[in-house]
Amino acid sequence: MKDDLELIKKLQNQDTQALSRVYDLYSGAIYGVILRMCKDEGLAQDLLQETFMKIWQKSNTYDPEKGKFFTWSYRIARNITLNSLRKKDALLIQTEDLSVYKERSTSEAGKDITQLEGSLKRLEPHHQKALELVYFNGLTHREAHEEMDVPLGTFKSYIKQALKKLRESYKEELGIVWIIIEMMR
Amino acid sequence: MMDRNTIKDTGVLEQYLLGELSEKDSREVAQILKEDSELQAYFRKMEDDMEQMAFENAISPPTHIKSNLLNSIKNSDTVSEEGVIPIQQKKKISYRFAIAASLAALFLCTSGWLYNQWKNTEATIVTLQKETTNLQDRLVTVEDNLKETDKWYRAINNPKVVQLVLKGNEKSPTSSAVAYVNHQNKEVILNPQGLSKLDNSKTYQMWADVDGEMIDMGVIAQDQEMITMKYIENAASLNITIEPAGGNDHPTVEQLISNVYL
Repeated sequence: MKDDLELIKKLQNQDTQALSRVYDLYSGAIYGVILRMCKDEGLAQDLLQETFMKIWQKSNTYDPEKGKFFTWSYRIARNITLNSLRKKDALLIQTEDLSVYKERSTSEAGKDITQLEGSLKRLEPHHQKALELVYFNGLTHREAHEEMDVPLGTFKSYIKQALKKLRESYKEELGIVWIIIEMMR
Repeated sequence: MMDRNTIKDTGVLEQYLLGELSEKDSREVAQILKEDSELQAYFRKMEDDMEQMAFENAISPPTHIKSNLLNSIKNSDTVSEEGVIPIQQKKKISYRFAIAASLAALFLCTSGWLYNQWKNTEATIVTLQKETTNLQDRLVTVEDNLKETDKWYRAINNPKVVQLVLKGNEKSPTSSAVAYVNHQNKEVILNPQGLSKLDNSKTYQMWADVDGEMIDMGVIAQDQEMITMKYIENAASLNITIEPAGGNDHPTVEQLISNVYL
């Protein structure tokens, strides 16, 4: 998806209608990320609102030269979610109620709604897992390679290969779409 | 120091995309991307892929989140602008209030003026009505007067009428009265205005001398200009005496103040 720079400009000028439009465009994708990270619908909803609040407040710091608007928004969502989870974890450890503490990467809660879809599903399991961990679970490469129990270098190449496969599958899809469009003409 | 290949091979770019790098490393990668268009194109593709993956795995959030978000933004806007806006609002209000007040004042003034005008007109009408009534009354009086005067004038200004002046004797030297006698119509009219004033216990009375006998012609009411007296046939003279108030059956000859022969 190409960024609508005019819309983003309006957002940066604190146009609430632009925010509404941006929300309609990106909230689903971002909510998907947040919910898979925290696996708690109530919390995810709060964090989604917090994320868009921050997008609204910090929109003037977004520089289209440096990257896509979604990448920028994703980083905000990820940071907010990770911070919130860290606080939650710290609180749980403080109260020593370790029984309710679960590794967020291994939690099974809300598995059905957080089931991954699309091209990612067609990747090989270890590629899928690697991407899921870093992208949807918000783990760092370092955390993720430990989680997958593979060396960091291997993990990095998993990510690289996964992205490459992903690109190829998108190209295929694009090709099919192109063929369908051509056939319809 | 990172170069293009290290960045590509070590997965730094992925970490950069995910926001995993430290601030310092992020700045460095951003700088390298800025200077290397090929690497930038590679990064853009990666961004596209990641974005597409996120969109494929999008989950629709409940609708109330959006309204919450927009509401909280609206609220925070009003809070942050509270310091500035109220003054403008006050200005706006006072400006509007000024217009309203001016209009109200203008309306009040106009109403007052109109009320005043109305009251003045009413007063004028009342005055005019009074004047008209007054004039009507006066006209009636004048007409009555005219009729009266006309009557006396016709009675007096008649060739058949004999005009007699009754001059006061030594008893009342300043007195005089004028009698108009019309033998044809058998009328006697008297103008008593020249008679001296009497006190309230006394009155003038007129008598006709017929063969040495004094016959009453009536009491003279002094407040009138002209009085019709009784006409007595074959009178030799007209006489005026002073009598007790209300008149007398017989003349008090000692009190005779004037007489005239016909």
